[in-house]
Amino acid sequence: MEPLSRFFYRRSEKALSDATLQASISRTTGKFVGARADAVAAFPGFETARDEGSRIKRETLDRLDHHLGRFIDEAERRGAVIHAARDGAEAREIATRIAKEEGVTLAVKSKSMVGEEVDLTGALEAAGVEVVESDLGEFIVQLAGETPSHIIAPAVHKTREQVSKLFVEKLGEPYTDKIPELVAIARRRLREKFLSAGMGVSGANFLCADTGSIALVTNEGNGRMGTTLPRVHLVVAGIEKVIPRLSDLPVFLRLLPRSATGQPISTYVSVLTGVKRPEDPEGPEKLHIILLDNGRSGILKGKYRDILKCIRCGACLNICPVYQSVGGHAYGWTYPGPIGSVLTPLMTGLAEGVPLANASTLCGACADVCPVKIPIPGLLLELRADERDRGLKDPAEVFGMKGYAAVMSRAGILEALERIAGVISSVFLKEGKAPWLPFRFSGWTDRRDFPAPAPQPFRKLWKKQRGIRPWNR
Amino acid sequence: MEPVGRKEELLRRIAVALRGHEAIKSASGATAGREAALSVADRIARFRNMFESQGGNFLAGPSLDPLLPELGEALRISGVTALFSPRGDERARLVAETLVPFGPFRLASPGEIRQLSAPSSAGFQTAEFAIAETGTIVQSGQKGKTLLPGLISDVHVAILSPAAFVDRMEECLAALSEDLPRTISFITGPSRTGDIEQTLTIGAHGPKKVIAVLLP
Ligand code: SF4
Repeated sequence: MEPLSRFFYRRSEKALSDATLQASISRTTGKFVGARADAVAAFPGFETARDEGSRIKRETLDRLDHHLGRFIDEAERRGAVIHAARDGAEAREIATRIAKEEGVTLAVKSKSMVGEEVDLTGALEAAGVEVVESDLGEFIVQLAGETPSHIIAPAVHKTREQVSKLFVEKLGEPYTDKIPELVAIARRRLREKFLSAGMGVSGANFLCADTGSIALVTNEGNGRMGTTLPRVHLVVAGIEKVIPRLSDLPVFLRLLPRSATGQPISTYVSVLTGVKRPEDPEGPEKLHIILLDNGRSGILKGKYRDILKCIRCGACLNICPVYQSVGGHAYGWTYPGPIGSVLTPLMTGLAEGVPLANASTLCGACADVCPVKIPIPGLLLELRADERDRGLKDPAEVFGMKGYAAVMSRAGILEALERIAGVISSVFLKEGKAPWLPFRFSGWTDRRDFPAPAPQPFRKLWKKQRGIRPWNR
Repeated sequence: MEPVGRKEELLRRIAVALRGHEAIKSASGATAGREAALSVADRIARFRNMFESQGGNFLAGPSLDPLLPELGEALRISGVTALFSPRGDERARLVAETLVPFGPFRLASPGEIRQLSAPSSAGFQTAEFAIAETGTIVQSGQKGKTLLPGLISDVHVAILSPAAFVDRMEECLAALSEDLPRTISFITGPSRTGDIEQTLTIGAHGPKKVIAVLLP
């Protein structure tokens, strides 16, 4: 997917003025936040599981070469073919080569954020393979020719009327605005595809190193069908998805569904190990696993390693006041919300992604809900510091901030400036606010008024007040 | 098919990235949700509670006969006409056969149900485990078992015995790890989606109804 994150401000303005979008975002995030809170409250072991999940993920990353190597060996031993892709282009090339060599003309795909990241569908389609998204949300988004706006619920930005119109236009189905009927249409249309597809494409929620297993979590059941019925199964997964043991999986199954949708467990969890055995009546004869780097080994190198612990639950999106305001598309790349604000600059380059790191109030809500305890606000601050160090910040802003620091640490200068500001404000004031600031700072006043300096500086008030404090009497 | 070099290069790249950046040290933590083992009756009660709260239907009785009318009714209102069970699963076959007179039912083969033109069906199968912690039924492909009854049917009827119940997910995975099958499938209630307007809707791709039948 081509990143458009540098246009964050423009894209978010558009999102903010779209009333339908605003309604769907607030409905979705509200529901998710409430469901998560209830599920966590109902499970006393949640905090312990968070500690444990966070520790396992971090320890795995600290020895990722060992664990990934183990995964590769075990999966190969059970019949999988492992492919390593350095970047999106390599992943696309490998996937299309597999499709060609296996003679695939129709593929069913389950939801995969990594698939979005490298635009796997686009590549396969360009190679002449019909790719059908089988997750209902992705199916809708695909019919509309759009991209997902939420990592758990891809079509949150669509209303039932919009979905129905799509089904009329693209599938020739009769109009209905009843959701169960829309779901039934998708079930019927997709069942056809599941039964005839030559290849199922999926991501992986977890890769278990000691058994070479792939764990997939879904609610609809598309993940199971797409990986059981077709002759070929193609998995594309980021290298950070590894966990050391199959026996570690339950910890993450206690965390992921509760954090994502508030369920104690997702309807379906599939643990898939190797290819169909001679005695098995179903299962793929061929299993291809593409392990994608795409900048992840670079992230591993430095102070951002913790971001690779992410299990893509989406909890940080739902709780984030910025995401709640602008939705997923404004972020301009595969991963929106707080997780995206850290991943996008790291994976697509600072210049492209750093507007996202700046578009945060650092309120800390994301870190509070993250099931694997990623210190997201701290990482956002690190990114801002990197932006300055690499000279990507506006020099005027850097200069301004330096000046601000100098003034704030010298009481005399501050007092003098406060007096001047008091005088100026009496001249420029509009209803107690400054409606504009000079050009360099206009970013602050384009969308809102800057509070005008108070006629009585705080420090002066403080001195006056202190005089009558009981302890000063 | 794959040049071996790429995999090795990936692992080397990771090893180099890890070098010099310190690993965190943390104490090994406690395990969440570990409590004293439950009695069989408590285990079943907890399973039932979790299973039903996630949309599953639970039936239990001293024998099959008293359950048949209710089971038949549940399938009938779901529009089921064909019943199938995997070859070799005697218990499931028995339940399906005994149920035929209790609705407009006939027996079908898994092969027939796999067709696109298949009638609305119920797939019967003995479940290997029932996990109390999450209210989950476990079907696996161990020893060449088919997965179709819990996969492509409109209603899945899982036959349980008291011995199938375990407290936690770990126990089930440990037992299956000894001879790991290609597929382990955790099924917790009916297939669902919230993808249109976040409205919970049953019956996306998998069974629209999941019935657990506990027999002694
Ligand atoms: S960063 Fe944490 S909360 Fe956000 S998606 Fe990843 S795991 Fe979930």
